[in-house]
Amino acid sequence: MDPFLTSRIVSDVLSGLTNGVIYGLVALSLVLVWRSTGILNFAQGAMPMFATYLGMGLLSYHLSYWPCVAIAIVAGFAIGGLTERVLVRGLYGKPEINPIVVMVGFLIVLEGVAAAIWSTLPRGLPSPFSSIDWQLGGKPIAMSDFTVYEIVTALIVMTAVAMLFRFTKLGLQLRASALAPEVSRLLGVRVGRMLTIGWMLSTAVGTITTILVASNFFTGLTPQVMDGIFAFGFIAAAVGGLDSPVGAIVAGVGIGIILQFVGDYLNSNAIILVALAILIVSLMVRPNGLFSKSTARRV
Amino acid sequence: MSMGGLRRQFGLTLLLVVVTVVLSMLLATRGHSGLVLAATASIFIVSVSVLRTPGLRERHPVVSRAALTVSVIDASLVATYFFSATTNFDLATGAAMSIVLLGLSFLTGASGQISLGNSAFMGVGAFAMAIWANHHATTPIVISLFIAIVSGALVGLLLGLPATRLRGPYLAGMTLAFAVAFGAILSSFNSWTGGDGGLQLPTAATPPHWVTGLFSSGTSLLTSNTMWLADITILATGVAFFFMANLFASRTGRAMRLIRDNDVAAELVGVSLPRTRVIAFVVSSSYAALGGALWTLINNSVSPSTYSFALSITILSLVVIGGIGTIPGALIGGVIYAYSTSVISWITNQTGLNPQGNFASQLNGIIFGVLLILTMLFAPMGISGAVLHRWRQRRANSQG
Repeated sequence: MDPFLTSRIVSDVLSGLTNGVIYGLVALSLVLVWRSTGILNFAQGAMPMFATYLGMGLLSYHLSYWPCVAIAIVAGFAIGGLTERVLVRGLYGKPEINPIVVMVGFLIVLEGVAAAIWSTLPRGLPSPFSSIDWQLGGKPIAMSDFTVYEIVTALIVMTAVAMLFRFTKLGLQLRASALAPEVSRLLGVRVGRMLTIGWMLSTAVGTITTILVASNFFTGLTPQVMDGIFAFGFIAAAVGGLDSPVGAIVAGVGIGIILQFVGDYLNSNAIILVALAILIVSLMVRPNGLFSKSTARRV
Repeated sequence: MSMGGLRRQFGLTLLLVVVTVVLSMLLATRGHSGLVLAATASIFIVSVSVLRTPGLRERHPVVSRAALTVSVIDASLVATYFFSATTNFDLATGAAMSIVLLGLSFLTGASGQISLGNSAFMGVGAFAMAIWANHHATTPIVISLFIAIVSGALVGLLLGLPATRLRGPYLAGMTLAFAVAFGAILSSFNSWTGGDGGLQLPTAATPPHWVTGLFSSGTSLLTSNTMWLADITILATGVAFFFMANLFASRTGRAMRLIRDNDVAAELVGVSLPRTRVIAFVVSSSYAALGGALWTLINNSVSPSTYSFALSITILSLVVIGGIGTIPGALIGGVIYAYSTSVISWITNQTGLNPQGNFASQLNGIIFGVLLILTMLFAPMGISGAVLHRWRQRRANSQG
């Protein structure tokens, strides 16, 4: 009845939107860490991956999907906090390559340990929602119960993070300690604790993202499940501006949709090439990202 | 040093050379091998003698570095003659890797930037070498290596242009994206790069006749081509290290260290930030390309799976563990790389792990990752930095 909804362009937009919110969530988790601690966390894909294995591994012990999700998210909070306390604490104020190197090291340790324990074979997660596309007049729309689950969850997470930062005392303290750590400390904010909470939040957001990715019938959970998605998430964060949560989400969705068209109209090899080109061009035009306020350079 | 002292050293060197030549002619039993022995020993004596000339390092640093390079190359070439094919293969692989490490070490240590894309730049060199050889099989090795270096430099320039405006984390992320995208780039040019299977060199690199002529007198002393490949790699490595040592000490090298320590001060004294950063990035990617091209030569083939993002992490680990920004650090990293596989299989055997099991197959990554983290947290200057620091402290103490 309505060829518009089943047309190629609309399906590309819808599939692109589904991928895009995932990139946006990864970008958001990168931004959370960057804003609070000035570190680009290269283990941002691996830490949530590990938490997801810890939580969803309990599926084999006859726990159902939702309790496992809850445990995975708790594990995400714990891994984020522990990492900040143990690994990252000593790196503040060091040359900016030091945290990069440490987090890259952490990335391969986590992926190696995960593969050693759980093997590199993909582990399917029993998604509570069907991945079969909706039908309209005998034609599929590029939407299913599962993609709705992805998009709605992403929206809830994004809103929750925004509300936390805007309307709660904790959010105010988090923003204050990122903006002016010395002053915040003077006013009684426990800045060290705020940094830990920043990392915990970021890893929890990452864990929800990883569960969404791995619950997809076509992907499954592997130790390297987030590697490629991390690259797209980083590109989204860099294009949007590493200090702008809104920029991260908008750029994530935008890149997701553009790349879906590229994959559909050109070929799948072109996807990452176009993504790389977008990154290079946008960094040349606006090195600080499209959505960040131009700040004076640190001297 | 007085003229008399110099004259005495010259006389001693000459005497040693004459004795060596006579001895090797007497001892050598086969054809030209006495000539080879005499030549290598004489070159070694002369270069060490030049190196030991007092005051040379201060007054003629380039000559001093050249003498050091020649003596080390010379000794290594002789060593390959005695090594087994396996050892020579490991030596060549590690030496080529140390070129790549030197490039990244220069970029990071001298300009404070970091690249996670060096696996892809190696791949550019490796495939440039293989593609060229498949179209022009008769090209001399030196020229095809040069072509690989130029390809690496061009791709480095393309990616380096935005890099001029980027600070550390952005550049690291961008080069990571390049490393991840490299596989797709290769697949996009399937007809050239041979797809998943990669490329074979049309002919294995064999030593020219004048080289084999030096050794062959009845028995084949030149046991395999592996020795020849190791020798080529050692020569290339020596030239690369000599060039880099001079670059470190040059005006450009000093400008880069200043940018690393304080880029605002650097701009104030007239250093062009974009220009210097592009140079550092292009040098680093050319070195990676040379290393990759040598790997193609050594293995006689190239496979796209070699140049994955995981290799970039290995490169980064080796540079950090060896010591960022130091020349010995790159050599140490190369040695570690050459022996890491055997050490890890030794560990697997000793601990009774199932070599095909999950844990054993991940051991390499886990060990490198843990070492990488520990080095960065507790000894950020790496092995060579720690040794150098201790040595300087001891010297300061002994001088009171």
